[in-house]
Parts: sequence; structure tokens; C-alpha cells
Amino acid sequence: MPCGDSEAFQEIYEAFRERIWALVVYSIGDSLQAQDVLQTIFLKVFRGLRSFRRQSSFFTWIYRIALNECRNHQRQRRAPHVPLEAILGSRDEIDPKAIPNGHEVREVVLQDAVKQLAFKMRDVVVLKYLEGLSYEEMSRVLGCSPGTVASRLNRALGELEERLRPFRRFL
Amino acid sequence: MRCWRFKLRKKFMAYLEGSLRPDEAKRLEKHLADCELCRAMFMRLRAGHKLAQQLPHLSTEADQRIPEFEAMMADMGEMATARHGWIRTWENWLYALATPRVVQGLIALVLALLALVVVSNRRVLFGERKSIAAQSSALDFSGFHPLSIPDLPTNTRPHIATEGYVRDVRVDKEEGTLHFRLAEMPQGAGPFVVCEILIPISMALPREGSRVRVYGVARYDAQPGREWHEVNPVLNIAVLKQ
Repeated sequence: MPCGDSEAFQEIYEAFRERIWALVVYSIGDSLQAQDVLQTIFLKVFRGLRSFRRQSSFFTWIYRIALNECRNHQRQRRAPHVPLEAILGSRDEIDPKAIPNGHEVREVVLQDAVKQLAFKMRDVVVLKYLEGLSYEEMSRVLGCSPGTVASRLNRALGELEERLRPFRRFL
Repeated sequence: MRCWRFKLRKKFMAYLEGSLRPDEAKRLEKHLADCELCRAMFMRLRAGHKLAQQLPHLSTEADQRIPEFEAMMADMGEMATARHGWIRTWENWLYALATPRVVQGLIALVLALLALVVVSNRRVLFGERKSIAAQSSALDFSGFHPLSIPDLPTNTRPHIATEGYVRDVRVDKEEGTLHFRLAEMPQGAGPFVVCEILIPISMALPREGSRVRVYGVARYDAQPGREWHEVNPVLNIAVLKQ
């Protein structure tokens, strides 16, 4: 696919933008910054097309660009952490009856907990539970062994449980 | 309390996803029933898994935040222009470097550095294997209750020392453990106890036919087809006669 072919690139954009958007939002959070990061990702994809050597699938290649860009952005920006308690109040047991729009807030709580994970652990959670990738596919995207993927996933789920334990009645 | 069943713990996710064989699942369930540490770890993992399964998928149709292609190309054009010179220079430099020879040279350099690190730190790296044996030798075996194999059915103590002849030494390749029978008699039928070494590398392995004293934790395997007494795990072996 020749670099600069706008139509072909549009096909790539339409095919991947939603999946990459989900990854970016879970990594960055803020929608304005997420838009910037999304554009940077596809700028790199557009420019990198000529050097794509087909040693991995297209999907794996784009995902690696996206993950690296998200990590770079986080390292540079160091976005302020908004604790879950700021959304729901005290860290003591949350009373679900006391919270209006419970469903929406529940989604925010879950998303926020994932966003607060270290990026290596967050990546495996997003790739597995949102993208539905297998361990083999995740290992190709992340550039590590399936065993490492499994190990990160175990740690990620343990940490997720610990973060959300005070909110278990709510969830 | 410690548990050395690392390989079993690696199967927790597969169990949660229902991809273990029935016999593997049964083995894991049996261990979870016995091991408080693994049970706690498994329950945390299960809770995390259930939470992660509830992660909301972003509703892309209603999501107005994803830029359309034309808007993105327009913004990309501005971005590319603003960073044009910097990106081109950086890309040209990278592209020139990404030749096979340069990559091979970098790989060779990294491997050489790695070899240097390993050689410099070999004592630290390989000395750890000795520490496992050192740990078991640090245990006070004088507190272990001595008893003969025929007396095992009436035993109530957890830590025992028993003597017998080594027979039927086998390796469980899947678990990475070693099993043998410790029989009262060197040949023929008679009372025996099944011994399991969880980390075979940590102690000298017994030879078939040798008479040994085994120190470890007394258990009973009530599974159908088994129903035997065990020393599991074996913590130390003293050879009495080769």
C-alpha cells in the first residue's frame, strides 16, 4: 500500500479508528487529549506505511504504535490522578442506593480503576476484555511471551480487585 | 505459610475460563481445598476477572469525540506541517539506521553486554539454587515425629520422619514433581507411603532400593484409586543405606 494514498489510508482509518479509540480513551481518559493522541497515532501509521515490513500482521503493527504513543503521552503529560473517592465519596463501603445515575457512575468507576493501573497491566486488561484477543495475539502486540502476558494479567486482575473492593456492593 | 505449587497457580485463569481438562480441574480444586494461600489468591483473581468482564465497551456510534476522516486529515496536515522538519529529519535518520547490518551489530552488542553481566554476577544468579537446599537444611528436624510406616494410619502429627526402602521413583513432567514409594520391605507387597518432592532440584534424589529416612508433612490421599498415606511435601531425605 503506497504511502500517501489517501483512499487506502481512509480505509485503514475507518477499519481501526474505533478499536484504537477505545485503547486511547482507557489510557488517556481526557477526550481532548485522546483526540490528539489518536491523530498522532494515525499520523505515524500514515508515515510508517512505507517502512511496514509485514513481519507482523497489520493489526499488531498499528496496535504497537498506539500503545507506545499512549505510554509516551502519559510519561510526558503525567496527567493528574483523580481518585475514585472523588467520584463516589468516602473510601468506606459505598451505598449504591445513595448514588443517582448508578449505571453511568458504575461504568466510570470501572473505567477509572483500569486507567489507574500501570500501563503494562492496563494494556493486557484492555486487549483481553475489550478487544477479546487471545494470549498469543496479545503476546504479538505487546512483544513478549504468552507467559509474560498471563503473569501481567494475573497481577492486573489482583490489583483491580483490590482497588474496587470498597465499591463491591456498588458494582 | 508457603506454597510451592507455582505451576498450578499458573492454571488459575485457564480454570476460570473453563479451558482446563477435567482431570486438571479436579487436581486444582483439590489443591484449593487444601491450600489457604492459593485459595485466597484464586478468589482475588476470580473477583478481578468478574470485574474486568464488566468493563464497558465504548459506544462508538454515539461517540461524537472520534474525529471523522476529513477532519482528522485536515488536523494531521497542520500537525505534519508544524512538525514537518523535525519528523522528516528523525524519520530519515531512523530509516538510514534500520539496515540489516546495523541491526545485527546492535543485537550482537546487546548479547555481548548480557553475557558480561551474567559472567560478572554468576555467583548471585546461580548461588540462588543452593539457597533452596540451604533453606531445607535450616529446618530443625529434631522436632519431627519418628514413626514406622505401619503406624501411619494412627498418626495425628503433621511433621513426621519415617524410614523405608525407595521403590518406583517417577517424575511427573506436568507438575515438575518427583514421586516414589517408601516401602517397609525392599521387595514384595507390604505397607508403604507415597512421597512427593515438589522441587526435585532442591535435594539429593533417592536411588531405587536404597534405605532412607524421609522427613516431611503427613497426609492422606482419599481419591478413589489412591487411598494411601503420603509424605507431601518431602522436606529432607537422609540416606541410611545405598
